Amino acid sequence: MRPFHPQYILEALPQLVLYLPVTVGIVIGTVFFGSLLGVLMAAGRIRRGRVGRAFANLYIYIIRCVPSIVLLFLVYYGLPELLIGFGININDAGKGFFVITTFSLLFAASMAEVFRSAYEAVDRGQREAAVSIGLTEFQAFYRIVLPQSVRVAIPNFTNALVNLMKEGSLAYTIGLIDIMGKGQLLIGQNHGSYSLEVYLALFILYWTLTLLIEKGADLSERRLWAEKGREGGVSQCS
Amino acid sequence: MQLNTQFMWETFLHVLQGIPVTLIIVLVTLLFSVPFGFSMAVSRSGEGKIGRKIITAYVSLIRGTPVVLQILFLYSLLPTVLNYLIKEMMGLPYNVFRISPIFYACAVFTLNTTAVLSEVFRSALSTVNRGQMEAALSIGMTAAQAYFRIIIPQALVAALPNMCNATVGLLKSTSLAFMMTVKDVTAIARIDASFGYDYLEAYLVIFAVYIVLCSAVQGAFYLTEHMAAAYKKPVAS
Repeated sequence: MRPFHPQYILEALPQLVLYLPVTVGIVIGTVFFGSLLGVLMAAGRIRRGRVGRAFANLYIYIIRCVPSIVLLFLVYYGLPELLIGFGININDAGKGFFVITTFSLLFAASMAEVFRSAYEAVDRGQREAAVSIGLTEFQAFYRIVLPQSVRVAIPNFTNALVNLMKEGSLAYTIGLIDIMGKGQLLIGQNHGSYSLEVYLALFILYWTLTLLIEKGADLSERRLWAEKGREGGVSQCS
Repeated sequence: MQLNTQFMWETFLHVLQGIPVTLIIVLVTLLFSVPFGFSMAVSRSGEGKIGRKIITAYVSLIRGTPVVLQILFLYSLLPTVLNYLIKEMMGLPYNVFRISPIFYACAVFTLNTTAVLSEVFRSALSTVNRGQMEAALSIGMTAAQAYFRIIIPQALVAALPNMCNATVGLLKSTSLAFMMTVKDVTAIARIDASFGYDYLEAYLVIFAVYIVLCSAVQGAFYLTEHMAAAYKKPVAS
Protein backbone atom coordinates (compact mmCIF):
# COMPACT_ATOMS: atom_id res chain seq x y z
CA MET A 1 0.00 0.00 0.00
CA ARG A 2 1.36 3.42 -0.87
CA PRO A 3 2.00 5.80 2.03
CA PHE A 4 -0.68 8.37 2.67
CA HIS A 5 -0.03 11.59 4.57
CA PRO A 6 -3.25 13.43 5.38
CA GLN A 7 -1.30 16.36 6.79
CA TYR A 8 0.07 17.08 3.30
CA ILE A 9 -3.48 17.96 2.22
CA LEU A 10 -3.34 20.85 4.69
CA GLU A 11 0.12 21.73 3.48
CA ALA A 12 -0.96 21.79 -0.16
CA LEU A 13 -4.19 23.72 0.34
CA PRO A 14 -2.66 27.18 1.02
CA GLN A 15 -0.31 26.80 -1.97
CA LEU A 16 -3.24 25.91 -4.23
CA VAL A 17 -5.46 28.68 -2.87
CA LEU A 18 -2.89 31.21 -4.14
CA TYR A 19 -3.94 30.26 -7.68
CA LEU A 20 -7.66 30.52 -7.00
CA PRO A 21 -7.75 34.02 -8.57
CA VAL A 22 -6.61 32.47 -11.88
CA THR A 23 -9.40 29.88 -11.83
CA VAL A 24 -11.98 32.48 -10.84
CA GLY A 25 -10.60 35.00 -13.33
CA ILE A 26 -10.95 32.51 -16.19
CA VAL A 27 -14.55 31.86 -15.13
CA ILE A 28 -15.40 35.57 -14.93
CA GLY A 29 -13.75 36.37 -18.26
CA THR A 30 -15.56 33.48 -19.89
CA VAL A 31 -18.91 34.42 -18.39
CA PHE A 32 -18.49 37.94 -19.79
CA PHE A 33 -17.49 37.05 -23.36
CA GLY A 34 -19.51 33.85 -23.48
CA SER A 35 -22.67 35.64 -22.41
CA LEU A 36 -22.19 38.31 -25.08
CA LEU A 37 -21.88 35.64 -27.75
CA GLY A 38 -24.72 33.70 -26.12
CA VAL A 39 -27.05 36.69 -26.37
CA LEU A 40 -26.31 36.91 -30.09
CA MET A 41 -27.04 33.20 -30.54
CA ALA A 42 -30.23 33.40 -28.49
CA ALA A 43 -31.34 36.39 -30.56
CA GLY A 44 -30.58 34.35 -33.68
CA ARG A 45 -32.89 31.62 -32.48
CA ILE A 46 -35.68 33.90 -31.26
CA ARG A 47 -35.79 36.26 -34.25
CA ARG A 48 -37.52 35.33 -37.44
CA GLY A 49 -34.47 35.49 -39.73
CA ARG A 50 -33.89 32.06 -41.26
CA VAL A 51 -30.14 32.39 -41.80
CA GLY A 52 -29.53 33.60 -38.27
CA ARG A 53 -31.58 30.81 -36.81
CA ALA A 54 -29.96 28.11 -38.94
CA PHE A 55 -26.53 29.39 -38.01
CA ALA A 56 -27.34 29.54 -34.28
CA ASN A 57 -28.86 26.05 -34.34
CA LEU A 58 -25.85 24.61 -36.16
CA TYR A 59 -23.46 26.33 -33.78
CA ILE A 60 -25.24 25.02 -30.69
CA TYR A 61 -25.48 21.53 -32.16
CA ILE A 62 -21.78 21.35 -32.98
CA ILE A 63 -20.61 22.74 -29.65
CA ARG A 64 -22.88 20.30 -27.82
CA CYS A 65 -21.14 17.42 -29.60
CA VAL A 66 -17.52 18.37 -29.15
CA PRO A 67 -15.50 17.51 -26.04
CA SER A 68 -14.04 20.60 -24.37
CA ILE A 69 -10.53 19.25 -24.56
CA VAL A 70 -10.79 18.83 -28.34
CA LEU A 71 -12.05 22.39 -28.75
CA LEU A 72 -9.38 23.68 -26.38
CA PHE A 73 -6.58 22.16 -28.45
CA LEU A 74 -8.23 23.20 -31.72
CA VAL A 75 -8.28 26.80 -30.54
CA TYR A 76 -4.79 26.55 -29.06
CA TYR A 77 -3.21 25.20 -32.24
CA GLY A 78 -5.67 26.44 -34.83
CA LEU A 79 -6.49 30.03 -33.93
CA PRO A 80 -2.94 31.38 -34.35
CA GLU A 81 -2.66 29.68 -37.76
CA LEU A 82 -6.04 30.99 -38.81
CA LEU A 83 -5.32 34.55 -37.72
CA ILE A 84 -1.87 34.58 -39.35
CA GLY A 85 -3.75 34.11 -42.61
CA PHE A 86 -5.29 37.52 -41.87
CA GLY A 87 -1.94 38.98 -40.89
CA ILE A 88 -2.59 38.92 -37.15
CA ASN A 89 0.06 37.30 -35.00
CA ILE A 90 -1.19 36.00 -31.66
CA ASN A 91 1.53 33.46 -31.05
CA ASP A 92 2.69 35.50 -28.10
CA ALA A 93 -0.75 35.70 -26.52
CA GLY A 94 -0.97 34.26 -23.03
CA LYS A 95 -2.43 30.86 -22.30
CA GLY A 96 -5.34 32.59 -20.58
CA PHE A 97 -6.37 34.11 -23.91
CA PHE A 98 -6.80 30.69 -25.52
CA VAL A 99 -8.55 29.29 -22.47
CA ILE A 100 -11.05 32.14 -22.28
CA THR A 101 -11.64 32.00 -26.05
CA THR A 102 -12.35 28.25 -25.93
CA PHE A 103 -14.61 28.33 -22.95
CA SER A 104 -16.44 31.41 -24.23
CA LEU A 105 -17.26 29.45 -27.37
CA LEU A 106 -18.53 26.56 -25.21
CA PHE A 107 -20.30 28.73 -22.67
CA ALA A 108 -22.06 30.75 -25.38
CA ALA A 109 -23.87 27.63 -26.58
CA SER A 110 -25.25 26.83 -23.12
CA MET A 111 -26.05 30.48 -22.45
CA ALA A 112 -27.93 30.76 -25.75
CA GLU A 113 -30.25 28.03 -24.50
CA VAL A 114 -30.50 29.60 -21.04
CA PHE A 115 -31.38 33.01 -22.48
CA ARG A 116 -33.82 31.64 -25.02
CA SER A 117 -35.77 29.50 -22.54
CA ALA A 118 -35.83 32.36 -20.02
CA TYR A 119 -37.07 34.81 -22.66
CA GLU A 120 -39.73 32.42 -23.88
CA ALA A 121 -40.87 31.68 -20.33
CA VAL A 122 -42.27 35.20 -20.07
CA ASP A 123 -45.67 35.38 -21.68
CA ARG A 124 -45.75 37.27 -25.00
CA GLY A 125 -48.75 39.18 -23.74
CA GLN A 126 -46.57 40.99 -21.23
CA ARG A 127 -44.50 42.61 -23.96
CA GLU A 128 -47.58 43.43 -25.97
CA ALA A 129 -49.30 44.94 -22.95
CA ALA A 130 -46.21 47.01 -22.16
CA VAL A 131 -45.97 48.30 -25.72
CA SER A 132 -49.70 49.02 -25.81
CA ILE A 133 -49.48 51.36 -22.84
CA GLY A 134 -46.81 53.38 -24.63
CA LEU A 135 -43.49 51.86 -23.57
CA THR A 136 -40.90 51.63 -26.30
CA GLU A 137 -39.73 48.22 -27.44
CA PHE A 138 -36.53 48.65 -25.44
CA GLN A 139 -38.37 49.81 -22.30
CA ALA A 140 -40.76 46.89 -22.55
CA PHE A 141 -37.84 44.48 -22.73
CA TYR A 142 -35.70 46.17 -20.10
CA ARG A 143 -38.39 46.94 -17.54
CA ILE A 144 -40.95 44.19 -18.01
CA VAL A 145 -39.54 41.09 -19.70
CA LEU A 146 -35.94 41.12 -18.47
CA PRO A 147 -36.60 41.24 -14.71
CA GLN A 148 -38.91 38.25 -15.00
CA SER A 149 -36.59 36.32 -17.30
CA VAL A 150 -33.68 36.70 -14.91
CA ARG A 151 -35.51 34.82 -12.20
CA VAL A 152 -36.32 31.97 -14.55
CA ALA A 153 -32.76 31.87 -15.88
CA ILE A 154 -30.99 31.50 -12.54
CA PRO A 155 -31.14 27.68 -12.08
CA ASN A 156 -29.97 26.98 -15.64
CA PHE A 157 -27.36 29.70 -15.44
CA THR A 158 -26.04 28.16 -12.22
CA ASN A 159 -25.74 24.78 -13.89
CA ALA A 160 -23.84 26.29 -16.80
CA LEU A 161 -21.58 28.21 -14.42
CA VAL A 162 -20.72 25.12 -12.35
CA ASN A 163 -20.02 23.17 -15.54
CA LEU A 164 -17.80 25.95 -16.80
CA MET A 165 -15.85 26.01 -13.56
CA LYS A 166 -15.35 22.26 -13.71
CA GLU A 167 -14.40 22.19 -17.39
CA GLY A 168 -12.03 25.08 -16.73
CA SER A 169 -9.80 22.60 -14.91
CA LEU A 170 -8.80 21.28 -18.35
CA ALA A 171 -6.86 24.49 -18.93
CA TYR A 172 -3.84 22.90 -17.30
CA THR A 173 -3.50 20.62 -20.35
CA ILE A 174 -2.26 23.59 -22.39
CA GLY A 175 -0.09 24.76 -19.52
CA LEU A 176 -2.19 27.38 -17.74
CA ILE A 177 -1.36 27.48 -14.05
CA ASP A 178 -4.66 27.64 -12.20
CA ILE A 179 -5.38 25.58 -9.08
CA MET A 180 -5.37 22.39 -11.16
CA GLY A 181 -2.14 23.39 -12.89
CA LYS A 182 -0.50 24.26 -9.58
CA GLY A 183 -1.60 20.89 -8.23
CA GLN A 184 0.16 19.17 -11.13
CA LEU A 185 3.26 21.29 -10.49
CA LEU A 186 3.25 20.31 -6.81
CA ILE A 187 3.04 16.64 -7.74
CA GLY A 188 5.87 17.16 -10.22
CA GLN A 189 8.02 18.88 -7.60
CA ASN A 190 7.59 15.89 -5.33
CA HIS A 191 8.47 13.52 -8.20
CA GLY A 192 5.00 12.06 -8.32
CA SER A 193 4.50 11.39 -4.65
CA TYR A 194 1.76 13.04 -2.63
CA SER A 195 -0.45 12.91 -5.71
CA LEU A 196 -3.43 11.54 -3.78
CA GLU A 197 -3.09 14.26 -1.15
CA VAL A 198 -2.91 17.02 -3.75
CA TYR A 199 -5.90 15.65 -5.63
CA LEU A 200 -7.87 15.47 -2.39
CA ALA A 201 -7.00 19.10 -1.68
CA LEU A 202 -8.24 19.97 -5.17
CA PHE A 203 -11.45 18.01 -4.54
CA ILE A 204 -12.03 20.14 -1.44
CA LEU A 205 -11.42 23.37 -3.36
CA TYR A 206 -13.61 22.53 -6.36
CA TRP A 207 -16.40 21.14 -4.22
CA THR A 208 -16.36 24.27 -2.04
CA LEU A 209 -16.49 26.48 -5.14
CA THR A 210 -19.46 24.55 -6.49
CA LEU A 211 -21.31 24.68 -3.19
CA LEU A 212 -20.63 28.42 -2.93
CA ILE A 213 -21.96 29.05 -6.43
CA GLU A 214 -25.06 26.99 -5.70
CA LYS A 215 -25.60 28.73 -2.38
CA GLY A 216 -25.22 32.15 -4.00
CA ALA A 217 -27.66 31.23 -6.76
CA ASP A 218 -30.13 29.93 -4.20
CA LEU A 219 -29.97 33.14 -2.19
CA SER A 220 -30.33 35.47 -5.16
CA GLU A 221 -33.15 33.37 -6.56
CA ARG A 222 -34.99 33.55 -3.26
CA ARG A 223 -34.46 37.30 -3.02
CA LEU A 224 -35.74 37.88 -6.53
CA TRP A 225 -38.86 35.77 -5.99
CA ALA A 226 -39.42 37.43 -2.61
CA GLU A 227 -39.42 40.86 -4.27
CA LYS A 228 -42.02 39.59 -6.62
CA GLY A 229 -44.12 38.43 -3.68
CA ARG A 230 -44.03 41.91 -2.19
CA GLU A 231 -45.02 43.57 -5.42
CA GLY A 232 -47.78 41.04 -5.84
CA GLY A 233 -50.12 40.98 -8.77
CA VAL A 234 -47.97 39.59 -11.58
CA SER A 235 -48.83 35.99 -12.29
CA GLN A 236 -46.15 33.32 -12.10
CA CYS A 237 -44.26 33.27 -15.35
CA SER A 238 -42.77 29.80 -15.46
CA MET B 1 -2.99 28.28 -43.43
CA GLN B 2 -1.73 24.99 -44.82
CA LEU B 3 -3.29 21.73 -43.70
CA ASN B 4 -1.54 18.42 -44.13
CA THR B 5 -4.44 16.62 -45.82
CA GLN B 6 -2.47 13.43 -46.44
CA PHE B 7 -1.85 13.18 -42.72
CA MET B 8 -5.49 13.94 -41.96
CA TRP B 9 -6.71 11.08 -44.13
CA GLU B 10 -4.26 8.60 -42.60
CA THR B 11 -5.15 9.76 -39.10
CA PHE B 12 -8.82 9.46 -39.90
CA LEU B 13 -8.38 5.83 -40.93
CA HIS B 14 -6.26 5.20 -37.88
CA VAL B 15 -8.73 6.92 -35.54
CA LEU B 16 -11.52 4.66 -36.78
CA GLN B 17 -9.82 1.86 -34.83
CA GLY B 18 -10.38 3.84 -31.67
CA ILE B 19 -14.13 4.16 -32.14
CA PRO B 20 -14.92 0.67 -30.79
CA VAL B 21 -12.89 1.47 -27.65
CA THR B 22 -14.79 4.72 -27.13
CA LEU B 23 -18.12 2.97 -27.70
CA ILE B 24 -17.24 0.05 -25.42
CA ILE B 25 -16.43 2.46 -22.59
CA VAL B 26 -19.73 4.27 -23.16
CA LEU B 27 -21.78 1.07 -23.33
CA VAL B 28 -20.18 -0.69 -20.35
CA THR B 29 -20.49 2.48 -18.30
CA LEU B 30 -24.18 2.78 -19.16
CA LEU B 31 -24.73 -0.91 -18.48
CA PHE B 32 -23.60 -0.40 -14.88
CA SER B 33 -24.69 3.20 -14.24
CA VAL B 34 -28.31 2.76 -15.30
CA PRO B 35 -29.17 0.15 -12.64
CA PHE B 36 -26.92 1.80 -10.02
CA GLY B 37 -28.33 5.24 -10.73
CA PHE B 38 -31.87 3.92 -10.69
CA SER B 39 -31.50 2.16 -7.35
CA MET B 40 -29.93 5.33 -5.94
CA ALA B 41 -32.88 7.36 -7.16
CA VAL B 42 -35.31 4.89 -5.62
CA SER B 43 -33.52 4.69 -2.27
CA ARG B 44 -33.23 8.48 -2.16
CA SER B 45 -37.00 8.69 -2.15
CA GLY B 46 -37.16 5.86 0.40
CA GLU B 47 -37.12 6.07 4.16
CA GLY B 48 -33.54 5.28 5.26
CA LYS B 49 -32.20 8.59 6.53
CA ILE B 50 -28.50 7.74 6.66
CA GLY B 51 -28.56 6.10 3.26
CA ARG B 52 -30.23 9.15 1.78
CA LYS B 53 -27.62 11.47 3.28
CA ILE B 54 -24.74 9.38 1.94
CA ILE B 55 -26.23 9.28 -1.55
CA THR B 56 -26.92 13.02 -1.51
CA ALA B 57 -23.32 13.73 -0.47
CA TYR B 58 -21.99 11.36 -3.13
CA VAL B 59 -24.03 12.97 -5.89
CA SER B 60 -23.04 16.44 -4.72
CA LEU B 61 -19.33 15.54 -4.60
CA ILE B 62 -19.29 13.91 -8.02
CA ARG B 63 -21.29 16.67 -9.66
CA GLY B 64 -19.32 19.37 -7.88
CA THR B 65 -15.85 18.38 -9.03
CA PRO B 66 -14.21 18.12 -12.47
CA VAL B 67 -14.20 14.74 -14.24
CA VAL B 68 -10.54 15.17 -15.02
CA LEU B 69 -9.79 15.40 -11.30
CA GLN B 70 -11.82 12.26 -10.62
CA ILE B 71 -9.89 10.47 -13.36
CA LEU B 72 -6.48 11.53 -12.07
CA PHE B 73 -7.39 10.71 -8.48
CA LEU B 74 -8.88 7.29 -9.09
CA TYR B 75 -6.25 6.32 -11.62
CA SER B 76 -3.55 6.92 -9.04
CA LEU B 77 -5.56 5.32 -6.24
CA LEU B 78 -7.33 2.28 -7.71
CA PRO B 79 -4.36 0.23 -8.98
CA THR B 80 -2.53 0.32 -5.63
CA VAL B 81 -5.68 -0.41 -3.66
CA LEU B 82 -6.52 -3.33 -5.92
CA ASN B 83 -2.98 -4.59 -5.69
CA TYR B 84 -3.16 -4.43 -1.90
CA LEU B 85 -6.51 -6.20 -1.80
CA ILE B 86 -5.59 -8.99 -4.18
CA LYS B 87 -1.94 -9.61 -3.29
CA GLU B 88 -1.74 -8.84 0.42
CA MET B 89 -5.24 -9.56 1.63
CA MET B 90 -6.21 -12.52 -0.52
CA GLY B 91 -2.76 -13.71 -1.48
CA LEU B 92 -3.69 -14.34 -5.11
CA PRO B 93 -0.78 -14.38 -7.55
CA TYR B 94 -2.53 -12.03 -9.97
CA ASN B 95 -0.66 -9.07 -11.37
CA VAL B 96 -3.03 -6.11 -10.99
CA PHE B 97 -0.84 -3.85 -13.08
CA ARG B 98 -1.68 -5.89 -16.16
CA ILE B 99 -5.37 -5.01 -15.97
CA SER B 100 -6.39 -3.15 -19.11
CA PRO B 101 -6.74 0.61 -18.54
CA ILE B 102 -10.17 0.31 -20.16
CA PHE B 103 -11.28 -1.31 -16.91
CA TYR B 104 -10.24 1.76 -14.93
CA ALA B 105 -11.85 4.06 -17.47
CA CYS B 106 -15.14 2.18 -17.13
CA ALA B 107 -14.87 2.29 -13.34
CA VAL B 108 -14.27 6.05 -13.21
CA PHE B 109 -16.97 6.90 -15.73
CA THR B 110 -19.43 4.55 -14.00
CA LEU B 111 -18.89 6.36 -10.70
CA ASN B 112 -19.44 9.65 -12.48
CA THR B 113 -22.39 8.73 -14.69
CA THR B 114 -24.19 6.95 -11.85
CA ALA B 115 -24.38 10.25 -9.97
CA VAL B 116 -25.65 12.09 -13.04
CA LEU B 117 -28.21 9.43 -13.89
CA SER B 118 -29.50 9.16 -10.33
CA GLU B 119 -30.58 12.80 -10.61
CA VAL B 120 -32.13 12.13 -14.00
CA PHE B 121 -34.11 9.17 -12.66
CA ARG B 122 -35.10 11.00 -9.51
CA SER B 123 -36.75 13.80 -11.46
CA ALA B 124 -38.28 11.28 -13.87
CA LEU B 125 -39.77 9.23 -11.03
CA SER B 126 -41.25 12.37 -9.51
CA THR B 127 -43.25 12.93 -12.70
CA VAL B 128 -45.24 9.75 -12.03
CA ASN B 129 -48.02 10.30 -9.56
CA ARG B 130 -47.58 8.56 -6.19
CA GLY B 131 -51.13 7.31 -6.42
CA GLN B 132 -50.10 5.00 -9.26
CA MET B 133 -47.73 3.13 -6.99
CA GLU B 134 -50.36 2.90 -4.28
CA ALA B 135 -52.97 1.73 -6.74
CA ALA B 136 -50.64 -0.93 -8.11
CA LEU B 137 -49.83 -2.18 -4.61
CA SER B 138 -53.49 -2.12 -3.59
CA ILE B 139 -54.47 -4.50 -6.38
CA GLY B 140 -51.88 -6.97 -5.12
CA MET B 141 -48.81 -6.28 -7.26
CA THR B 142 -45.42 -6.57 -5.59
CA ALA B 143 -43.26 -3.45 -5.45
CA ALA B 144 -41.04 -4.87 -8.22
CA GLN B 145 -44.05 -5.56 -10.44
CA ALA B 146 -45.39 -2.09 -9.79
CA TYR B 147 -42.07 -0.56 -10.80
CA PHE B 148 -41.53 -2.63 -13.91
CA ARG B 149 -45.10 -2.63 -15.24
CA ILE B 150 -46.48 0.71 -14.08
CA ILE B 151 -43.89 3.24 -12.96
CA ILE B 152 -40.86 2.66 -15.21
CA PRO B 153 -42.69 2.68 -18.57
CA GLN B 154 -44.08 6.12 -17.72
CA ALA B 155 -40.98 7.55 -16.05
CA LEU B 156 -38.85 6.38 -18.99
CA VAL B 157 -40.57 8.83 -21.32
CA ALA B 158 -39.63 11.71 -19.02
CA ALA B 159 -36.12 10.34 -18.43
CA LEU B 160 -35.02 9.70 -22.02
CA PRO B 161 -34.19 13.28 -23.10
CA ASN B 162 -32.04 13.76 -19.99
CA MET B 163 -30.51 10.30 -20.42
CA CYS B 164 -29.55 11.41 -23.92
CA ASN B 165 -27.84 14.48 -22.45
CA ALA B 166 -26.05 12.30 -19.90
CA THR B 167 -24.88 9.90 -22.62
CA VAL B 168 -23.63 12.73 -24.80
CA GLY B 169 -21.79 14.09 -21.77
CA LEU B 170 -20.33 10.67 -21.11
CA LEU B 171 -19.23 10.30 -24.74
CA LYS B 172 -17.46 13.65 -24.49
CA SER B 173 -15.83 12.73 -21.17
CA THR B 174 -14.37 9.57 -22.68
CA SER B 175 -12.07 11.88 -24.64
CA LEU B 176 -10.21 12.24 -21.33
CA ALA B 177 -9.55 8.50 -21.15
CA PHE B 178 -6.15 9.07 -22.77
CA MET B 179 -5.03 10.22 -19.32
CA MET B 180 -5.45 6.60 -18.25
CA THR B 181 -3.45 5.43 -21.29
CA VAL B 182 -6.59 4.10 -22.98
CA LYS B 183 -6.16 4.08 -26.77
CA ASP B 184 -9.44 5.70 -27.68
CA VAL B 185 -10.20 8.14 -30.52
CA THR B 186 -8.49 11.08 -28.83
CA ALA B 187 -5.44 9.12 -27.72
CA ILE B 188 -4.76 7.73 -31.21
CA ALA B 189 -5.05 11.17 -32.77
CA ARG B 190 -2.72 12.68 -30.16
CA ILE B 191 -0.12 9.98 -30.68
CA ASP B 192 -0.25 10.33 -34.47
CA ALA B 193 0.05 14.10 -34.17
CA SER B 194 3.05 13.95 -31.87
CA PHE B 195 5.34 12.55 -34.59
CA GLY B 196 5.14 15.56 -36.85
CA TYR B 197 3.50 18.18 -34.60
CA ASP B 198 0.35 18.01 -36.73
CA TYR B 199 -1.88 18.69 -33.75
CA LEU B 200 -4.24 21.03 -35.56
CA GLU B 201 -4.97 18.46 -38.26
CA ALA B 202 -5.39 15.64 -35.74
CA TYR B 203 -7.83 17.63 -33.63
CA LEU B 204 -9.79 18.66 -36.72
CA VAL B 205 -10.19 14.97 -37.57
CA ILE B 206 -11.49 13.97 -34.15
CA PHE B 207 -13.64 17.10 -34.04
CA ALA B 208 -15.50 15.63 -37.01
CA VAL B 209 -15.47 12.10 -35.56
CA TYR B 210 -17.05 13.27 -32.31
CA ILE B 211 -19.78 15.15 -34.16
CA VAL B 212 -20.64 11.96 -36.06
CA LEU B 213 -20.57 9.79 -32.90
CA CYS B 214 -22.66 12.30 -30.99
CA SER B 215 -25.19 12.50 -33.82
CA ALA B 216 -25.43 8.71 -33.78
CA VAL B 217 -26.13 8.70 -30.03
CA GLN B 218 -28.76 11.39 -30.41
CA GLY B 219 -30.34 9.55 -33.31
CA ALA B 220 -30.51 6.34 -31.29
CA PHE B 221 -32.19 8.16 -28.40
CA TYR B 222 -34.59 9.87 -30.77
CA LEU B 223 -35.77 6.47 -32.03
CA THR B 224 -36.01 5.07 -28.50
CA GLU B 225 -38.07 8.06 -27.38
CA HIS B 226 -40.54 7.39 -30.16
CA MET B 227 -40.85 3.74 -29.17
CA ALA B 228 -41.12 4.50 -25.47
CA ALA B 229 -43.82 7.11 -26.01
CA ALA B 230 -45.83 4.77 -28.22
CA TYR B 231 -48.29 4.05 -25.41
CA LYS B 232 -49.26 7.73 -25.36
CA LYS B 233 -50.57 7.60 -28.92
CA PRO B 234 -54.25 6.85 -29.32
CA VAL B 235 -54.87 3.25 -30.34
CA ALA B 236 -56.12 3.02 -33.89
CA SER B 237 -59.39 1.19 -34.05
